[in-house]
Amino acid sequence: MAAATRPRTLKEARTAYTSNAEFAWWVFMRISGLLMIIVVTAHVYMTNIMINVGDVDFNFVATRLSTPWIKVFNTVLIILGMLHGANGLRYSIEDYNRKPGRRLLLKLILYTLTTLILLMGLISLWGIDYSQYDSAVTIGRSMIS
Amino acid sequence: MYRGREGQWAFLLHRLSGIAIAVYLLIHVVNISLAMFGPEVANRAMVMFHSWPFRFGLLALGAGVTYHALNGLRIIAMDFTGWGVRHQRTLWYVVMILSVLIFIAYSIKIVPEIIEGMSH
Repeated sequence: MAAATRPRTLKEARTAYTSNAEFAWWVFMRISGLLMIIVVTAHVYMTNIMINVGDVDFNFVATRLSTPWIKVFNTVLIILGMLHGANGLRYSIEDYNRKPGRRLLLKLILYTLTTLILLMGLISLWGIDYSQYDSAVTIGRSMIS
Repeated sequence: MYRGREGQWAFLLHRLSGIAIAVYLLIHVVNISLAMFGPEVANRAMVMFHSWPFRFGLLALGAGVTYHALNGLRIIAMDFTGWGVRHQRTLWYVVMILSVLIFIAYSIKIVPEIIEGMSH
């Protein structure tokens, strides 16, 4: 759907979108956006305000990725962010590419990249035991607290 | 471009900042995920992210995130309330002013860190 005709109100959206999926994405963009205002602010506060982001190294990352509440927090953040971002990129692809073949190709690339990178992020959160780098986690802990 | 005047700029900036943030997010998740391969790989990748051109880019991205978040609130106000539609132009100026103020405050924290980081 072109930008010029994208609905601007809830009522318009409900009637304009013939497919339920498209309407669901419209709602998702608003809910995830609202949630991310809180979650992203907290993320940037922890990683850019409380510390100098230039000091971030493996120790810091490994410690965060093995702290239970941060695993949950980052899982919420990565899923909301990747879906919101991928859907926003999809809107852009559809708005600026008229040829069906090119739209399909670009969207296939987008979906593949999104899936792979989301999986990579989730594996780094839940699939890796960072205690094998024990000293790293101990040093990182002193940076966080 | 759907409405001209301020609404057109609001839309264009929302789109551009959104694309920039989404592209950065993909790179950022890969970068952080490299921790799964251990300290050597992760720290080597980190060097580029700590270089001063990249850090200035990140600062600009911060401005984009701030604008996208605040203008997102404006969009939600427009979508769900008549008040938001009536005052969308004023709200956009509020969004711009708040974005600039937050960016200035953020820069006061970040720019000295980048300059300090240049020397080593």
